[in-house]
Amino acid sequence: MDKDTFVEMIKDYRVAIYLVLLITSIIVIFPHPGPSGIETNLQFGLDLDGGSWIQLEFQSAVVTFKSDMSVEQFVTDLKTKLDAEVSLVDENTLEIRKGISEEELRQVFSELDTELVSYNPGVTKATAEDVKRILENKINSLGTRDAKVYVITALNGISRYVRIEMAGVSMGEAQEIVGKQGKFEIRIHTTGNETEHVLFGDAIQSVANPSQTPPNSNNWGVSFVITQSAGEDLRQAAINSGATKSPDGHNLDMILDGKVVYSAPLSPDLAAELQAKATTNLLASTGYGEEGREQAKLLEIHLRNGALPVGVTIAGSGSVSPELGDQFKFWSVLAGIFALIAVGISVYIRYREPGIVLPMVMINASEVIILLASTVFFLQLDLATIAGLIAVLGTGIDQLVIITDEILHEGKVPSPNLYMKRLKRALGIIIASAGTVLIAMLPLAVMDLSTLRGFAMITILGVLVGVLVTRPAYGRIIMSILSK
Amino acid sequence: MNFFTYDISSISPVKLCVIPAVILLLSLLSVGMMWMQTGLPVSPGIEFEGGISVTIVTDESPEDITAYFSGYPLVSVNEGINNGKYLKFGPMDDSTVIEFTKKVEERYKGAKIDQIGSSFGKTLQDQATIAILISFIGMAIVVFVVFRTFVPAAAVVVSAFADMVMTAAAMNLFGIQLSLGTTAALLMLIGYSVDSDILLTSRVLKRKGRFDEKMQGAFKTGIIMTSTTFGAILAMWLVASIGGIQIIAEIGAVLLIGLLFDVMNTWLTNAGIIKWYMTEGKGRLSTAQRGA
Repeated sequence: MDKDTFVEMIKDYRVAIYLVLLITSIIVIFPHPGPSGIETNLQFGLDLDGGSWIQLEFQSAVVTFKSDMSVEQFVTDLKTKLDAEVSLVDENTLEIRKGISEEELRQVFSELDTELVSYNPGVTKATAEDVKRILENKINSLGTRDAKVYVITALNGISRYVRIEMAGVSMGEAQEIVGKQGKFEIRIHTTGNETEHVLFGDAIQSVANPSQTPPNSNNWGVSFVITQSAGEDLRQAAINSGATKSPDGHNLDMILDGKVVYSAPLSPDLAAELQAKATTNLLASTGYGEEGREQAKLLEIHLRNGALPVGVTIAGSGSVSPELGDQFKFWSVLAGIFALIAVGISVYIRYREPGIVLPMVMINASEVIILLASTVFFLQLDLATIAGLIAVLGTGIDQLVIITDEILHEGKVPSPNLYMKRLKRALGIIIASAGTVLIAMLPLAVMDLSTLRGFAMITILGVLVGVLVTRPAYGRIIMSILSK
Repeated sequence: MNFFTYDISSISPVKLCVIPAVILLLSLLSVGMMWMQTGLPVSPGIEFEGGISVTIVTDESPEDITAYFSGYPLVSVNEGINNGKYLKFGPMDDSTVIEFTKKVEERYKGAKIDQIGSSFGKTLQDQATIAILISFIGMAIVVFVVFRTFVPAAAVVVSAFADMVMTAAAMNLFGIQLSLGTTAALLMLIGYSVDSDILLTSRVLKRKGRFDEKMQGAFKTGIIMTSTTFGAILAMWLVASIGGIQIIAEIGAVLLIGLLFDVMNTWLTNAGIIKWYMTEGKGRLSTAQRGA
């Protein structure tokens, strides 16, 4: 190929797009020397970096119903019958926070003359977000290095699982962290900076969601109920410290794991009430507006002591040690390289022409680079994804062979006109088969079969990058090479 | 490169399809029997059935390991290379799982533990079934849209179906269990299988020339396609097996089996149906278009 054909080739939009994408990809991956060998921007999954995951299943169901009873009456009756927390999501949807099967629930509903219209195990988006926040808070407060919490939500908007991934933590540690309750305490200021113990977290019986008092006032707070004896303790502490007489200067501190998370004086009302008698219903107000609401949400978590608003069971869990992860990394890179070599050998046996074999292998390798770069943005590179990457390498080379053979039909290099016609025909075959791969993998990418999502996404991406960018570019490059 | 010439000019369409038909029948039988036993076409692994798998590196004997884990539902101990041991346990309840994890980590540092609860396994199983169904139907729709003629499109779909069923039967034969990885591989097979089928069918339908020559040309391209893919996957499977990467090795094994069946189903099953269509089936519809 002389200089002119080369320049002309690069100027072709197919080749230009391919080159730009390839160079961008290398920049995105950004391989550079670091303290532990070559470092990149690639995000590795737990099975390559080492760490643990736990997937929890909510003991809860979201149901819709049709009832002749008034909604309030029905919810109240249902609560007593099930002995469970039941909350109204909208006028005919309920969230029942108890692990109960559809059959059992249908039985209970029929006793209340209500029709169970639909049953979905899981929680609403709002509850799922709460759980996520609580877990994140808990994990962060324990100083865990690198943790991610994912809520797994089905297409109908109901979340059945939450998945926690923690890098560099063994499974035993992970279970402990997730299951661990924070140490919560309320203390009262006596004189100066001195404080005195009032109650521990176990004295808190229930915590309500953040609310406004009075309603719609935008004055946020969290109300909670403490045990009878803790109520007495609080009264004694308030009287002894002088808080009932002069609330200011005798703040109540809420402390989680040794850190003050909330501090406020008794309200005048409460101070007066405590002077007279003990109370078990308390309200901690957090202020006005959006900030008050955020504060209230946080406080709710603290009051709940790190406990989740809904029961959970372990659906699944797993762990890989960092050493094993490193080993997997090494072997999967090796698997990729050997696959590429195998591809090179087999096309060489077929064509015996470096002018064809080299571009083929290079296009194939650059598809892998482009795909790796695309994972930086929205995928973690795990073992299944790597298997997908190598499988894509397999289909990719298939299609390069189709192009080459279509064009070289009868062993001769055709005129540019005929060439383009044949390239189009080859791309037609490729688009058809790419379409089927895309459709075949789509369900896996949309559904959440945890580990397989990466595999499906990388396959789909591979098909798209191949059909739109690399294979047309290959067609153009091979034309310049062959028409020497 | 000509190992042998693909010449089916003297073989009747029915004869071409006999061997694949017999294998398909046997495969359906194997898959059907497994279905009756387990509710799935391939014997389900831990991910679909629930249970715990533990991978450890130790020079202890299987007997020692069995003794250490007495009291837990140990199903099997498999030995790999380099003292690797792969233990399988049945499902346990939450508190037992936590207790069990501690017991594993106490003795075997760096163990790889995977646990799936039985109800979660059931959910995964249902989802995987739906995924395979949707994928297959979607693939069939695309193929019919592309060819817009019934017989050639049906030939592609039948070959893909045969690929999957035969591979599933082979998995039962070799004791490869159905896991998330192998499910993905089966889905990937749809793509691989359709690749060479579409090549064959569009070469024969859309190009001019003698039928047998077009078949030979398609075969030459098709077989190199399959063998390069086979080479790539073989390398992946070998390296992953040596390196002990279970999931990649499983995916690789299933793809390799599937690719072999794909060669048969493309060049016997699909070729047979297409030949019948070009020489007889289509002839009945319009004699004017009868092939050479």
